[in-house]
Amino acid sequence: MHISKLTLVNYRNFANADFHFEKGVNTVIGENGSGKSNVLRALRLLLDDNMVRASRRLDAEDFHRGLGSWKGHWIIIGVEFQEVSQDEAIQALFIHGTGVGQPEGLVERATYNLIFRPNKQIRMNLAALDSSDFDGMNAILDQVTIDDYETVFTGRSTADFSDPQTYMRIVGDVENATFSNEIEFPEIGARIPGTLSITKEVSFTFIQALRDVVSEFYNNRTNPLLTLLKSKSGQIDQEQFQPIVERAQQMNAEIENLDDVRKVHEDIVETIHGAAGQTYSPSLLAIKSDLPDEADLLFQSLKLFVGEFDESHEGKIQELSLGGANLIFLTLKLLEFKYQHERQALANFLLIEEPEAHLHTHVQKTLFDRIGYEGAQIIYTTHSTHISEVSNISSVNIVGRNGTTCEAFQPSTGLTPEKIGNLQRYLDAVRSNLLFAKSVVLVEGDAEEILIPVMVKKVLGVSLDELGISLINIGSTGFTNVSVLFHQTRVRRRCAIITDLDAAFMNLEPQPDDSPDVVNYRAKLRRAQVSGAGRKASLDAHSAGNPWLQPFYAPHTFEVDFVACGNSEKVADSVDDVYSDPATRVTSIAELKSGDPAQFGKRVLTMANHEGKGWFAILLGKRIDERTTIPEYIRKAIIFAHGSFSTELMFSILKHRLAVNNQGWNPMPPVLHAFSQRLNEYRSGEIEFNAISEEARVALPDDQILAFLWDLA
Amino acid sequence: MTFVWTESELTPEQSQAVREENSLMLVACPGSGKTRTLTYKIAYELSRLKGERQFIVALTYTNRAADEIRERIEGLGVDTSQLWIGTIHSFCLEWILKPYGLYEQGLAQGFRVIDSFEQEQILEELCRTQSGITYWDCGYYFNEQGYVLTCRDQNKHERLKAIFALYFRRLAENRQIDFELMLYYSSRLIQNQPFIVQILANIFPLILIDEYQDTKHIQYTTVASIVRAGAGQTKIFVVGDPNQAIFDSLGGFAMEVEQLRQLCGVPLTELALTENYRSTNRLISYFSHFNVAATNIIGASPDRAFSSNISYDMTLDRDQLETELVRLIRLYVGQGISPDQICILAPWWVLLAGVTRRLAAALPEYEFDGPGMVPFSRDIENFWYRLSRIGLTNSSPSQYVRRLRWAGQVIRDLENEGVDTAELSAKQLLRESNSIQIDQTDGLLYLGDYFDALMNRLNIDWKSYPLLSEHHTAFFDSSAARIDRLRREGTAYIAGIDFFRRVFRHRSGVTVNTIHGVKGGEFDVVIAYGMLQGMVPHFSDEAAGDGGVTAAKKLLYVIGSRARKHLHLISEQKRARGRYGVYSTTDVLLGLNFDYDIV
Repeated sequence: MHISKLTLVNYRNFANADFHFEKGVNTVIGENGSGKSNVLRALRLLLDDNMVRASRRLDAEDFHRGLGSWKGHWIIIGVEFQEVSQDEAIQALFIHGTGVGQPEGLVERATYNLIFRPNKQIRMNLAALDSSDFDGMNAILDQVTIDDYETVFTGRSTADFSDPQTYMRIVGDVENATFSNEIEFPEIGARIPGTLSITKEVSFTFIQALRDVVSEFYNNRTNPLLTLLKSKSGQIDQEQFQPIVERAQQMNAEIENLDDVRKVHEDIVETIHGAAGQTYSPSLLAIKSDLPDEADLLFQSLKLFVGEFDESHEGKIQELSLGGANLIFLTLKLLEFKYQHERQALANFLLIEEPEAHLHTHVQKTLFDRIGYEGAQIIYTTHSTHISEVSNISSVNIVGRNGTTCEAFQPSTGLTPEKIGNLQRYLDAVRSNLLFAKSVVLVEGDAEEILIPVMVKKVLGVSLDELGISLINIGSTGFTNVSVLFHQTRVRRRCAIITDLDAAFMNLEPQPDDSPDVVNYRAKLRRAQVSGAGRKASLDAHSAGNPWLQPFYAPHTFEVDFVACGNSEKVADSVDDVYSDPATRVTSIAELKSGDPAQFGKRVLTMANHEGKGWFAILLGKRIDERTTIPEYIRKAIIFAHGSFSTELMFSILKHRLAVNNQGWNPMPPVLHAFSQRLNEYRSGEIEFNAISEEARVALPDDQILAFLWDLA
Repeated sequence: MTFVWTESELTPEQSQAVREENSLMLVACPGSGKTRTLTYKIAYELSRLKGERQFIVALTYTNRAADEIRERIEGLGVDTSQLWIGTIHSFCLEWILKPYGLYEQGLAQGFRVIDSFEQEQILEELCRTQSGITYWDCGYYFNEQGYVLTCRDQNKHERLKAIFALYFRRLAENRQIDFELMLYYSSRLIQNQPFIVQILANIFPLILIDEYQDTKHIQYTTVASIVRAGAGQTKIFVVGDPNQAIFDSLGGFAMEVEQLRQLCGVPLTELALTENYRSTNRLISYFSHFNVAATNIIGASPDRAFSSNISYDMTLDRDQLETELVRLIRLYVGQGISPDQICILAPWWVLLAGVTRRLAAALPEYEFDGPGMVPFSRDIENFWYRLSRIGLTNSSPSQYVRRLRWAGQVIRDLENEGVDTAELSAKQLLRESNSIQIDQTDGLLYLGDYFDALMNRLNIDWKSYPLLSEHHTAFFDSSAARIDRLRREGTAYIAGIDFFRRVFRHRSGVTVNTIHGVKGGEFDVVIAYGMLQGMVPHFSDEAAGDGGVTAAKKLLYVIGSRARKHLHLISEQKRARGRYGVYSTTDVLLGLNFDYDIV
């Protein structure tokens, strides 16, 4: 039996999120503040016996902030279990409370929910309202306090609360003041019977980030070694143990009979008699050796000694490095599960918060790779890109913030095993932070990877990081293997693909005076053009109908289009870095400034190939400034990837362009000054985006930002 | 550790029944230690349970019997946390309807169980739609095919069917079910959703049925389908006495061993408890005349040679009845028999009401305790009834464990209704309850004040919990109606708080009861009147093939086997039947040739 799904509705920073889990090891990854801890807390509310009962009574603070007013809404925390069966005696009581009956008379999954909702009286009052009776609804909801809410635990529910239609049908539509006439819905399941305590049925361990493991070893209650020994002491073989008991008793006797011990004993007795006299002295006084002769007491004296790495010395736990102690602690916990499994615990769950806080990356990798997971389902959260690469992409959940709400994604939903394999290999190979990105731009080569960030920073005044865009160099044109991640059912993040269409930049018709080289060159360009058109067709098909994915094409090739869009001067400036021959320099500069694609195209590619595309990009990068033009297809890709631009962001971009246009004049020319004032009004919300766009047209004529504004409008 | 017992605790035949590994049908003659055997069987099996996830289920005829058996097992020092004991109705509610009701259309949107008072109100109202039908004609029960009317007058069935059509529709509209529908829906659920019995079979290694002779067919099949699903893992243990099957008018019957074996699909051993430790040989030889199931009874009481008085008076006039009863009571108390060892029986409650009143007046020094004398509604599923048990009992060491259990149940009920009980313990609830002082002599008013005071102390606004409100209304309405009826019958004192308290007190005084109500009881002296054709047997049984002879014998068997020492039967003369007639003496008694004593 394992947890297959967790659904959070209106809980803390989740408006509505589904998490999917597999047997074995599962990862929940996400940046800080994305709600990872709340995912663990939700699971603990349902399954952790150590969670204080009172915490299951939720609070107004537990409602998702994005709701506005929580009144009338419900919080639902639901888990689904799979690999359950009505035939297994050990699961019977659990299934009795949670098993979902299928029409054909089988039970294959179980569900268990915590529902925090208005009490029956409130629900009855809401149910009695006519549709759209806002006054009636408000009269009821205004009076509602958190004390009018109840927590119920239900099993065998079939309702998918993450479906907004279902939620509205059951909870009601507060927006439109419309509520069902019913107040009981069989889909939400039956109350868990009093005879069943789910938290007692499963064993559940939560390992918090930054837990002080060494002190746990010193606490008799939490020491995992003692727990292991205790579970064994009950079943100890008496025949094996009897000689030990006898020896312990014998040793006790021998110690008591040591000359020095007896001497001390005699001296004590004598001194007391001398001091207190015979009458007032205790009649019996003995020194006894107290080596225990019972199994569990003897076991308590056992301590774990560990030699770290190849030291020959075995030391106590507190001598270990923190990482070492953590490793031992986790290992013993896993063993504890194994023991419990033997004693028929229904299922073992281990939740680890940020194992990077406990263990070195390499240790984590081997630990999670090698553990026999038979007995336990492990769910851990991480913000480490290192550990995310360890995990199987099919058992990864990504949490990410999207404004005030957090969302959960499963990167491999609906993909064929082959596609998952490709994705997995890519993620393993590049250690990319692809899974953490708020939005992504995929590029095919080093030149784009080097120059696009510089251009964006210089031109817009904000970096890609600030825009929340991760630029990933695929190193080839094999975009589909990776971009398959970005999809409505998988990672709901925008992904723009930037690639070259490789259309020829010169006439491909053979000319009578073509040299053999030129003939070859034309042929090469034709082949590139044909294959580029083929790639476009397949990429367009791949992204069709996917709102999260869009390709953007350089009409020719990055370098060529970089020159073509108005950056010939920049490239010309770097000619001297590439060529030393004066004649070649002059020819090159003339060609680059010719305005004829056939000439500058061939030249810039010659230069790039001469230097290597990456090095050439680095050379160019030095020349990039605020007036470098961003090619149109890159501009559009950035805009798509980022999504809507906030007022604050637009303000700072326009402010940057204003400064660029000001060119150090003091005081500012009146037209720029007026624009600056309008910009402040725009920031404070007094004027609209369209108005500030109009102003920009006047104040910043010919600036490339106008094209941005045009695209954004 | 497996539960063990000594030879002085159980007789060999009792021990054999407890140790039986197979499923078992145990036919227990009166006074043979049936409850004791059942108690030890449960204790023994509890101690042998393999896992913490298993429960032993024991189905009793009344909640009172369930409480008694649980207390006895706890008294043996056995943990009862894995015992579920109660009536078949509670069982169906807890284990089938609540958890699986969402798979049954009629229950999926929630349901409420109505008590007998509410049922009576609805039926009384509906009876007005048909001429010549009263509530008393409206008995019914379910079998697997549908509902069965218990009214023997076939001429009324057409009209009754019309009433029941309305009745079921009314309940469905209000999402209510009555006690019979609980059984019906449970049976449907386990038929339509086969996984239910599979799950339950995995939870229950053993299901026991006490008083199996009063079990209905639908109940047998419900339990049997769980046992069958267990394919040998789940066993059944039924115990009872076919001779005492006196609830056949409600559908109860003693199933034959072979039929039960077929139904359960498991090996079923048949054993008997034949030693009677209650009655004298003379009494046994007397009530053995009414043995219709050919069971074996051997006198085994140490006092079995005691010379019992067995008398039969068929000449006494109806208006001399109280005088005779007073004489007999005085006679035996004079011989040193304690009043609570004397029991007065009659076939119907209507015969007892007036007599009890007049006896109470004639013998003011004694208390009288009768079944219909409970002044408030005894619906075990009603939250306020459950709470009244705490409110009407005093804190005392002997009651402590029981009150603690009641308090625990009240807390669970509150929790189920969504009241936050995280901070509330059973001990604390008792402490709060014990500190309430109310100066009120009217019982019902007292309870109202007590409930308010306690809820106040616990800081629970019960009115805002709909189910508690509904139960509150149901409890007080039905109690008021009940008191009203008793008052009209002349027992005004019944409304007083002292009388209320007596309900949960250990029974004291002379017991006054119906034959059906005295089930399982035993007394030194049993005095039964109303031994009249039409009552014993019931007139509706006279239509049976044997003219009611079997029915009459079973009633006489139950009466006779209650007595330890003395038995007195009276067929009072001149009791009016209808407008002009009078009742005649019970035929079976007339036909019996026995050497009665004259007392």
